[in-house]
Amino acid sequence: MSKWLFESVPKGRVAIFRSLAYLFVALDLVVFTPWVKDHAHADPALYEPLWVARVLHLPTPTPLLINVIFWALLAVSLAALSNRAPRLLGWAVFALYFEWMIIAMSYGKVDHDRFAFLVALAVLPTVGAAKWGDRRPSEKAGWALRVVQIGVVATYFLASWAKLRYGGPDWMTGSVLARAILRRGTDLAHWIAPIPGALIGAQIGIMAFELASPLIFFLPQRWRLRAVAFFYSFHLVTIATITISFAPHLVAMLSFLPLERALERARSRFASGARTPSSPAPPGEPALARNEQTSE
Amino acid sequence: METLTPVGRAVRVVVTLTGVALLFVTSTWGSDDHFPFAPFRMYAGENPPNEPAPDPRIDATTVDGRVIVLGQRQTGLRRAEIEAKQDAFAANPSLLCEVAKAYDERNPAGPRLAEVRYVLRLHEIQASRPTGRHTDKVLAAWPVPK
Repeated sequence: MSKWLFESVPKGRVAIFRSLAYLFVALDLVVFTPWVKDHAHADPALYEPLWVARVLHLPTPTPLLINVIFWALLAVSLAALSNRAPRLLGWAVFALYFEWMIIAMSYGKVDHDRFAFLVALAVLPTVGAAKWGDRRPSEKAGWALRVVQIGVVATYFLASWAKLRYGGPDWMTGSVLARAILRRGTDLAHWIAPIPGALIGAQIGIMAFELASPLIFFLPQRWRLRAVAFFYSFHLVTIATITISFAPHLVAMLSFLPLERALERARSRFASGARTPSSPAPPGEPALARNEQTSE
Repeated sequence: METLTPVGRAVRVVVTLTGVALLFVTSTWGSDDHFPFAPFRMYAGENPPNEPAPDPRIDATTVDGRVIVLGQRQTGLRRAEIEAKQDAFAANPSLLCEVAKAYDERNPAGPRLAEVRYVLRLHEIQASRPTGRHTDKVLAAWPVPK
């Protein structure tokens, strides 16, 4: 168990993952969940602080507070992209984003698409210095990515747990998807909905997939990547039918992927594509080695 | 190879186990109040195969008689947030003034409102499939003071 939890990964992997996570924070502010900022205009009477906000005695959001957090978080997340001061900037991003999410979810509606992403922001500062292209294996990096993976799988598995708790086994033969489609369905979803058995079949499939999701940890690496591809395809279908993106969760799911290899491959392809006939690679020098030199 | 010290390992094991335990405890006994922990209950409700689907909205009549929808773009309030306060609006329609205020702040040059309403559209569902029929019901109406 300990070996599994601390299985080392190249530090470069977590460096790429960290950059993508901090880039997403900035994008989330302005592209994915811009409605959080709209709460600056909401009547304070609509504010229903979450348990964590009450325990920490967080202030009732005001236009000033919301604007300060928005701009501070945008600046800090972009600064964190540089990979400098990873602990200081990382903790600052986590604290500000967590408060931003507490504000987001304290007006009567709570979303569950970002548990694993919050885990990622919480553990990434513990890795410390890590640079793109750094191939040295690290247990710190391995643990950080492992707990993000646990967060991803827990989101699925405990979603099925919640379905059994609130809806019971009848959830599978109920009308939850019909309801979702009527409220926010796309043309594709409205085309699928009348097909006899389609929605009930989908509900049974969702329950089975969510309950079985922890099995991903028992798969060999090759099949694990295929399972992750299936996870992504599941979200592609939910976006295409009921317009639910789960964007932060999708970013957290990158923790399963050998990102450093994808980067090396991309660099290698870019280098070979950019190489002109007048400047061929020196004989005997592998393309990958050349790429590594230019990347340092 | 960067290895962890025994203390570093122990701290991380405790943090991991605590987090997992909190997830299972809140999944079993918790509520939305325990965000960011579980229960992860989006679309987890009990919806029988023939239960109509509620599709609430806030709409308004402007002073020149037009009916407009006050959605998230107009008020900054998400539909689910409005829906969570459905009972409160029905019991006390004057609470709709908060929605009108949010609209006014975001649309200072927009048309003035004469009345704000909480309307519940119920889409008919049979055997877990939509039938295409629906009914509208006004649960709360608040005349905007001139």
